Amino acid sequence: MSTANRSIRDVLYEPPGPKTRRRIRIATAVSIVVIVVLVAEVVRQFYIAGQLSPKYWSLFARYTTWRFLGRGLAGTMEVAVAASAVAFAAGLVLMLGRISRYKILRGLSTALIEITRGIPTLLFIYFFFLLAPQFGLKLPAFWKITLPVAISAAGVVAEVLRSGVNAVPKGQTEAAVSLGMRGGSVFFKIVFPQGLRYVVPALISEIVIVLKDTTFAYVVNYSDLMQNAKVLISNYDALLSVYLVTAVIYILINYLLHRLSVRIAGRNRIPGVTIE
Amino acid sequence: MSIVALLTQFGDRYLSALFTTYKLTAAAFALAVVIGVAVTVMRIAPVKPLRMAAEFYVQVFRNIPGAALLIFLVYALPYLNIVLSYHVCVLTAITLIPSAFCSEYLMAGMNTIGPGQIEAARSLGMTFAQLVRNVVLPQAVRSSVLQMTNLLVATMLTTALASQVPLNPTDLTGIVSYINTHAVGGVTAFLISAVLYCVTAIVIGQVGNLIDRKVRILR
Amino acid sequence: MAQEPKRTDAAQQIPVIELRHIDKYFGSLHVLKNVSLSVQRGEVVVIIGPSGSGKSTLCRTINRLETIDSGEIIIDGAVMPEEGKMLAKLRSEIGMVFQSFNLFEHKSILDNVTIAPRDVLRVPRKEAQEEAMRLLERVGVADQAHKVPAQLSGGQKQRVAIARALAMHPKAILFDEPTSALDPEMIGEVLDVMTELAREGMTMVIVTHEMNFARRVADRVIFMDGGSILEENTPQEFFSAPRSQRARDFLNSLGEREKQVRNV
Repeated sequence: MSTANRSIRDVLYEPPGPKTRRRIRIATAVSIVVIVVLVAEVVRQFYIAGQLSPKYWSLFARYTTWRFLGRGLAGTMEVAVAASAVAFAAGLVLMLGRISRYKILRGLSTALIEITRGIPTLLFIYFFFLLAPQFGLKLPAFWKITLPVAISAAGVVAEVLRSGVNAVPKGQTEAAVSLGMRGGSVFFKIVFPQGLRYVVPALISEIVIVLKDTTFAYVVNYSDLMQNAKVLISNYDALLSVYLVTAVIYILINYLLHRLSVRIAGRNRIPGVTIE
Repeated sequence: MSIVALLTQFGDRYLSALFTTYKLTAAAFALAVVIGVAVTVMRIAPVKPLRMAAEFYVQVFRNIPGAALLIFLVYALPYLNIVLSYHVCVLTAITLIPSAFCSEYLMAGMNTIGPGQIEAARSLGMTFAQLVRNVVLPQAVRSSVLQMTNLLVATMLTTALASQVPLNPTDLTGIVSYINTHAVGGVTAFLISAVLYCVTAIVIGQVGNLIDRKVRILR
Repeated sequence: MAQEPKRTDAAQQIPVIELRHIDKYFGSLHVLKNVSLSVQRGEVVVIIGPSGSGKSTLCRTINRLETIDSGEIIIDGAVMPEEGKMLAKLRSEIGMVFQSFNLFEHKSILDNVTIAPRDVLRVPRKEAQEEAMRLLERVGVADQAHKVPAQLSGGQKQRVAIARALAMHPKAILFDEPTSALDPEMIGEVLDVMTELAREGMTMVIVTHEMNFARRVADRVIFMDGGSILEENTPQEFFSAPRSQRARDFLNSLGEREKQVRNV
């Protein structure tokens, strides 16, 4: 059988013989017991602390609860979408600068990319939250969270786009030039669209990061999912259950995005081309 | 405020803030790698429940926002009668998230190994332990150097979460809001922290590239 | 360290490799059908057949890189178990050369050859290195000893793979289409090394498409199709007067192809 399409996971273990099968069965049984005990322990902890009481969970049977969380989620999504769009635009500009033929542009773009990649999002948020007002710059809360999150992602987006553009075979440019196309249109009509396609999965992963960063919206008092969760908590006096549900919502959304990215990556795979 | 005035007044604080950030980064990264390796071993184990549990762990912590995790640890855990110090909460949050990514990178590093090499090792009479030691581990480690460098930088950026709880001394992000509530630090306060973060990230990146160039496996 | 395998027979004439009634399925596909084969010390057995005939699978079955559903594999009198230390021990007695070389990409050529003797047989480093250099010399790549596999040509890699197998002092070497991944100009250098080995009396099982080579070095030719051994014959008889119709068809189709290639 050909070894071409197997991954290391498939060959690391040999098909088990009777002894190994017995060992695996024992290990399986033991690990199931351990996992069940751990889960039971968590549930017990909830029970002892009284956190399983219906008063903490009944709010989730109400339509209004979900509508309120949904409104918060919409706020989160608005920031995430806007920040992703800004990050994409800024990233595109930075990438073009990075591959420009002018040394000054290249240097400037490289520096900006390094800066946005080397500074925590929170620090950018503080910049817009604490410092921008000192210059008389009055931004609505929406932009106070959207801009820093976008800036923080822009450098990564630029590098991702660049890796995509670099992965486009040189022959494509040569073919386009030989057809009489000019520099700019060769890049934007031939090279960039293909490069973009390669990196769609990596861009989706970046959206996950953007979405995670939006949770800092509470710093600037913008009502996102997290903020609305806080309001619910004070209304219902149910902190643990609300934070738990909120965390699960975030995890599920990001997990779905992650799955999407993996699926597209699987479909877009080009032989011999690997994109980070 | 000029940079000189700022540094005279807050220089010591900046130094300890930098130290705090470095300490958190180093501790979190070390713990994350240890946990990441353990989780990866579980993910490739031929024991299904272990694989599923490890997969669940990775998906939870690679997808949870840092702020949500930290808030949960700080505010929700006490309702389960688990009260952790702020310091422990921060360290836990900034360890668990990178540990999930560490495992993802190790898995990716392992997948660069051609399966034929495993068969070759087997045909030479190597036992499972021998082929893991001689073939799988060295290649997985060497081909994940760049990603581990990225992970170290990402871990450092995650330590900014420490600014969200009262911590003494504060970290590099916390000090900016500290100065701006105690004096008018202005842009300078922000810039000093930004430069310190940035320089550290660039140095880590360069060192990573250097190591990678040394150990990269030609294919 | 594993113990010496229990050899069931003290007689001189026990085969180095013996397969007894091997059956193997891939799902519902019956890829090896009651295959039996024995290879004597010093014998060179060449397995040929159309693609999908099961010849590669059979070769990989000999050191149990493929699982089997029934039957027995006996290496020099010792039954090869399904798992465990004894399986590894018996594998170490049988060398294997793969189509895609499968050198360890992170190790130097020298380390590729010494790693198994050092870690499996516990040969001291210096001794292993001296022996490895002798072997690399023998296959003509000693000057590449300190490079890594990626820096070598396919033909050089395959010769290193042969040296790596030889370093274990195997009782036999299995060659699974050793030249199929090579550019035409490199096939010769690998076949030369193999011919030399055959001449020195190495026991070999070779799966190949190189018919001239087969005719030259084989003591015995095995023709497989549809998962069964259809014919075992001397190379002279097999290539001039094959007994089975399918072998005739197979050789004819090869002849046709060669003619076409020549006419092009």
